[in-house]
Amino acid sequence: MTPVTGFGGVLTAGLILLALAAGADLLAGARWPAWCRLPYLLGAAGAVCLLVAGAAAVAGREVAIKSGAVLGSVAAGGQHLFSAVSGLAADRLSGLFLIIAFGAATPVSLAFASWAAGPAGPGRRGLGASYALALGSVAVVLTARDAFTLLFGWESLTLAFWLLAGFDRNSPGRRLSALITLAFGRVSGASLLAGLLLLVTRSGSLTLSGLAHVPAGPLRSTACVLLLIGFAVKVGLVPFQVWLPRGYSAAPGPARAIMAGVSVNVGFYGLWRTLAILGPPPAAVIDILLLLASATALLGIAHAAVQGSLQRVIAYSSVENTGLIVAGFGVALVGAATGRRALVAVGLLAATLQVIAHTVAKSLLFTASSDVQPPGGSDDLDSLRGSVRRTPWAGTGLAIGSLTLAGLPPTAGFVSEWFLLEALMQQFRVPGLADRLVLAITGAAVALTAGFAGVTFVRVIGLVVLGRPPADEHGAATDTGRIGRIGIVLLGAACLALAAVTPLEIRLIGAGLAPVLPSPAVTAALKSPWVVQPVFTGFSILSPSWLWIVMPSLFAAVAILTWLASGSRLLRVRRVPAWRSATAGVSGHDSYTAFGFANPTRRVLGAILHTRAAVTRLHVPNADEGADVAAAAAHVEYSSDVIEVTEQYLYRPFQRPFALLVRQAQRLQCGRLDAYLAYMLIALIAVLAVVTGLH
Amino acid sequence: MWVLRGLRNGVLTTRWPARPDQYAAATRGPAIVLAGPEVVLAGPEAVLAGPGAVLAGPGAVLADQEPDQLSDLDALCPVGAISADRAGRARVDQARCIQCGRCVQLRPDVFGWSAGPGSAALTRAALLVPPDENPDSRAAVAAALLARTRALRRSVHLRHVDAGSDGSEEWEIMALLNPVYDIHRLGMFFTASPRHADVLLVTGAGANGMADSLRETYEAMPDPKVVIAVGTDAVSGGIVSPSYATSGGVGDIVPVDVWLPGSPPAPFAILSALLLAVGRLGATPGSQTATSTGTR
Amino acid sequence: MTAATEYQLIASVTDLRDRVRAHIEDSDARLADLFGTDRDGGVLITAQLAGRDGMTTMDTLLPAGQSSYPALTPLVGSAFWYEREIHDMFGVIPEGHPRLEPLVLPAEGPDLPRPGGDGGPARIEPDPQALPRHTVGPGLFTIPHGPVRSGVTESIEYLVETPGEDIPHLNMRLFYKHRGIEKRFEYLRPADGVLLAERAEGVASVAHAIAFCQAMELIAGAEVPWRAALIRTLHAELERVACHLDVIVRLADGAGLAVATARFGWHKERLLRLTGQLSGSRFGRGVLALGGVTAAPRLEPSQILGAAGELDRQIGADVRLLMGTASFLDRLRRTGPLPPGRAAQHGALGPVGRASGRVEDVRRSRPYAAYGSLGTTTSSRDDGDALARLEVRVDEIGSSFHLIRQAADELDEAGSGPLRTDCVVADGRATSWAEAPQGEVLYDVRIASGRITRCRSRSASFHNLVLMHEVFAGDILTDFPFIEASFGLSVAGAAG
Repeated sequence: MTPVTGFGGVLTAGLILLALAAGADLLAGARWPAWCRLPYLLGAAGAVCLLVAGAAAVAGREVAIKSGAVLGSVAAGGQHLFSAVSGLAADRLSGLFLIIAFGAATPVSLAFASWAAGPAGPGRRGLGASYALALGSVAVVLTARDAFTLLFGWESLTLAFWLLAGFDRNSPGRRLSALITLAFGRVSGASLLAGLLLLVTRSGSLTLSGLAHVPAGPLRSTACVLLLIGFAVKVGLVPFQVWLPRGYSAAPGPARAIMAGVSVNVGFYGLWRTLAILGPPPAAVIDILLLLASATALLGIAHAAVQGSLQRVIAYSSVENTGLIVAGFGVALVGAATGRRALVAVGLLAATLQVIAHTVAKSLLFTASSDVQPPGGSDDLDSLRGSVRRTPWAGTGLAIGSLTLAGLPPTAGFVSEWFLLEALMQQFRVPGLADRLVLAITGAAVALTAGFAGVTFVRVIGLVVLGRPPADEHGAATDTGRIGRIGIVLLGAACLALAAVTPLEIRLIGAGLAPVLPSPAVTAALKSPWVVQPVFTGFSILSPSWLWIVMPSLFAAVAILTWLASGSRLLRVRRVPAWRSATAGVSGHDSYTAFGFANPTRRVLGAILHTRAAVTRLHVPNADEGADVAAAAAHVEYSSDVIEVTEQYLYRPFQRPFALLVRQAQRLQCGRLDAYLAYMLIALIAVLAVVTGLH
Repeated sequence: MWVLRGLRNGVLTTRWPARPDQYAAATRGPAIVLAGPEVVLAGPEAVLAGPGAVLAGPGAVLADQEPDQLSDLDALCPVGAISADRAGRARVDQARCIQCGRCVQLRPDVFGWSAGPGSAALTRAALLVPPDENPDSRAAVAAALLARTRALRRSVHLRHVDAGSDGSEEWEIMALLNPVYDIHRLGMFFTASPRHADVLLVTGAGANGMADSLRETYEAMPDPKVVIAVGTDAVSGGIVSPSYATSGGVGDIVPVDVWLPGSPPAPFAILSALLLAVGRLGATPGSQTATSTGTR
Repeated sequence: MTAATEYQLIASVTDLRDRVRAHIEDSDARLADLFGTDRDGGVLITAQLAGRDGMTTMDTLLPAGQSSYPALTPLVGSAFWYEREIHDMFGVIPEGHPRLEPLVLPAEGPDLPRPGGDGGPARIEPDPQALPRHTVGPGLFTIPHGPVRSGVTESIEYLVETPGEDIPHLNMRLFYKHRGIEKRFEYLRPADGVLLAERAEGVASVAHAIAFCQAMELIAGAEVPWRAALIRTLHAELERVACHLDVIVRLADGAGLAVATARFGWHKERLLRLTGQLSGSRFGRGVLALGGVTAAPRLEPSQILGAAGELDRQIGADVRLLMGTASFLDRLRRTGPLPPGRAAQHGALGPVGRASGRVEDVRRSRPYAAYGSLGTTTSSRDDGDALARLEVRVDEIGSSFHLIRQAADELDEAGSGPLRTDCVVADGRATSWAEAPQGEVLYDVRIASGRITRCRSRSASFHNLVLMHEVFAGDILTDFPFIEASFGLSVAGAAG
């Protein structure tokens, strides 16, 4: 039996190229600037191979690397457990996510190559290796066939995240961010480990497909919940979302895109795979999941709307999209629990469409934002104004990504949010009152989120992309290099074109979701070749493809009519300064700042954000208590703070007891050999006891 | 509640200029030399100058004169709007008339009030009454304005700038929006931004502090545009000029197309000036009266 | 005019400061005016205090060469803008002033207007370098609102410092409309001075003319005939109603009540037409002359009664409906509150002061024209918000119509009689006042050889406008038009 079958060779080639990329970075690194780009270009090539492998998998070809022979010989004890370590293989679901992840990873890698060669580049080796490790771990997780490989890939992804988050020595708060990223990564790994082990003990097999045979019962439900928790931590569902903004902001440059755009898909893949293998969790868990999803979406967008730093805005937007995607997934769970296949289809379809749109847009946003920010400069929104003038390519990328995540037609984000809302609107088809109520609440929360997403990204587009550049510019930002521009063009075109080819996308998703439900269930969303509906007939329709034809045509028609009606005078312009009510001029900011624009949101969402605002009078010169001319002479300062509610009320109260516990636990690290031997003995006895107990 | 209240008094709006309006016909304009046989203001025999001279009627007392001779024209007009030509015929420069009424009171045989809303003119020289401007050049100016404002006949947007007025001209311009005058029925609207404006109404004597802002506003308006100087202050500076803080009117700051004297000009006069500016005045009955010289 | 003015000459500015402060504390007075007059290169600083026992004027001389003096503002807060204006006009520096920036004339050069002095510069351009610059604190940005604002308004610039919605701070730039009125008075004959006084604040022409004419009559020792006093009162009250109606129109327009705006606009138009019918000028110009009035009203008193009565009835009915419109009152309640303590400290004038518990009406405390004989009522409130200012104005409309009716009745009874007395003005100085719709108007005029040498014209708008800094407590940007309209001030009078 050959170890590599079908398109497995392409898979192998991809992995090998990633390994080469890591090697090139570790060896050459920044020593030879001309070689800066090499690791990332190799990575891009590897991503392309993996993309092809994924396409082949979705198309039904066999893509596998079997390594059972290798490992079986190592554990010659003949345990059937180890012989079931079956290597890597991509079925349709894996193939779908391989396409999604590595379809985005390729342009990001190109942009990464440009960025690394530019002045903002890493300056020392290690970043490329971490990047390659991340991509490789993603590939491994997506193509894992058994629990061991999955966990191996998961842990190495956690390691890669820690390396990426902690890479930039100059960024403030780096150590804490990296540590928190690592901690939550380990928590998710631990949860996965627990869940998988529970299932493995009962199913007797390491393979993922074998886990489906575990009989229903509290064990299966617990394991399902543990798996869901593990994947939820990865994607950043409330209350585990606190690591996302920190970890993403701390990473340098387009590494954020790798983390937030490419790697986060393993979490969603895991959720989909859990549904495929184990079916839906208990009904109460589904309701809790939906409520958590709505809370995540609201919390994410509320914070995104008021952040002062561009990276944080984009990072919190990831939290919001997690909420949206898990909401769609929740609809699918409800359908699975009540046996309505159409509901499962519409839920998974909406969620997957949102995953695709989010992947493309988030990658584009993080890639563009890394070029908009000047090297060494701050990423405060007010200092990045008018970036389309300084860095036109990056600025345009930022604009297109923002439009997509704001859900504006005719971008892909609009189609996915439409599907999501339509999916949530099917709540009337569900029999149980609790489910209906929860779905209605989630629908309302998603609608509210969509509104505030508009506000958030209007601020980014209006003030950061457009807007007047600030008077004082500390150091210019350099625009994306030539290779990176290809990446931005690809991502931007994807944001826009994916909407136009939605029917093809749906067919692809239908093919990819085969392990969960048969593809005709999903392709029932195609009412006619270019019109889509939310799987249920007669509810509503949308045609993004026609939108893509009609909107530009209308725009062009209006432009032509205007030009004709104006005679030849349309293009004769006289340039005068912008109208500012003929003021004599003011010093300082004289139009809406990004901080000021977010102020109404801070107030309206004060309940979620726990806004505290303060107006303080600064030094009043020359006045004594007798003359109350403070108002006429004072300078005033305004400050406004928001609080992250989960951090404040969930994690902080546990900080002290936890620190106490850790200090106690540190006593174990006494450095004495006999103590460590004793610990090992105790651990062994405990494991034996547990194992005999379980049997 | 308010809907019914609004219907209570019926239609209040004037039909001017389509129909004659009594109040419009009675609008008091600047002072004017009464028509009729040649009225001689002053000749070598006139006892007008000198201390303690009383010009007309009981109760009209002048302040003590200076030891040097007051010219009779000074006594008649505090802003120097009255002059005499070589033959001694009186001439009133309506551009300078602040409607104080002193000349009418002192010499009611020579001076009177012009009546009717048609006190606006297309050139400053045309405000000199009786005019000595060449009627052909006046017609040329009118034709040029008509051609320029071809696109503005039916729908006009107005922008007002206060360049140092005393506050009353703003009241009279705002009165155009009340239901009596209702400027909207004529297709005229006020805009907030000069970018949307066609007509610029300028009030005030041209305060130096507003010169730059006025110019900026003028530049911010797209062509074709028309500038109306509303009020004697804007036309010539009124009694507020000469001063260290004002120019003599806004004519030095922006190119003015329509000059409307009055202190302040009544709303009907402003309406008439607006219609003149967009070329809709002409075939409208009731805008000319016997004692005014009509459309200039 | 019955109350007299007491003139005192003080030795030095420090003495002046102390005397002013003592006077304010002891006799419950307020600082009514503070201005300068050129004296051979020096500056004669004049402080006028209005107290229970009338107006007190204190002069002190800053000799030529002394370019600074200890400021009054740290002791008397209401001198804040007055000292800035003195600095603009004369270039003397009040030491210890909290914010000495140009207010009405940003000019740095040696050529300063110096009112009261011989000659003067022909032209002073505002110096862009001298413009008051406002630095914004962290977290705030400035919205420059003006001088060319939306709507038909007078030119003034408000610099709204805001974090995005609220107005934690407001700054104003006043210099755009400065016309140099005070300097223009010089060398005019008093008869011409009346004309200029009418145009110092065009919406309060009659009040300014009354104050100026009364100052001339004081110098000449002329006694205005009873009929003329009644006619002056009549026109002053008509003007008051017109100004208050204007405020109501602006408030209703800001609240979007189209019918109310239209109806009150109609009432104001009828009122202006009535005034025009009476006097020939819609604003009551040309009515006043030195020693009396120029002519009798052109309507019979019975006609005046009829027209005024009908207007009163209809305005009253619409006002009652307006004050019952909850959505409208909601916009005004607790908007732009002026604390009573602050109003008392500053000496807020007119309806603004009366709505914040500072009850003073010049028509009652220092009666002039016919007010001493006619019954005047003063209305006041304590809340100090925009609603209180509107209520005070509504009450004043009612009492103004009452005064108009009384004046018309008295005119009827007075039959015929002289309208003017001889008023020969030679040399002298006088201070006089009138209650304009915005508040107390103060004129201090010096005459030499039949010509005005110095005429100080202080309108209530100048005194009250500085309070705009202090009334934005917790309001948002959309409340701004209501606050501005409820103050009802005229920028022409404030900028001078």
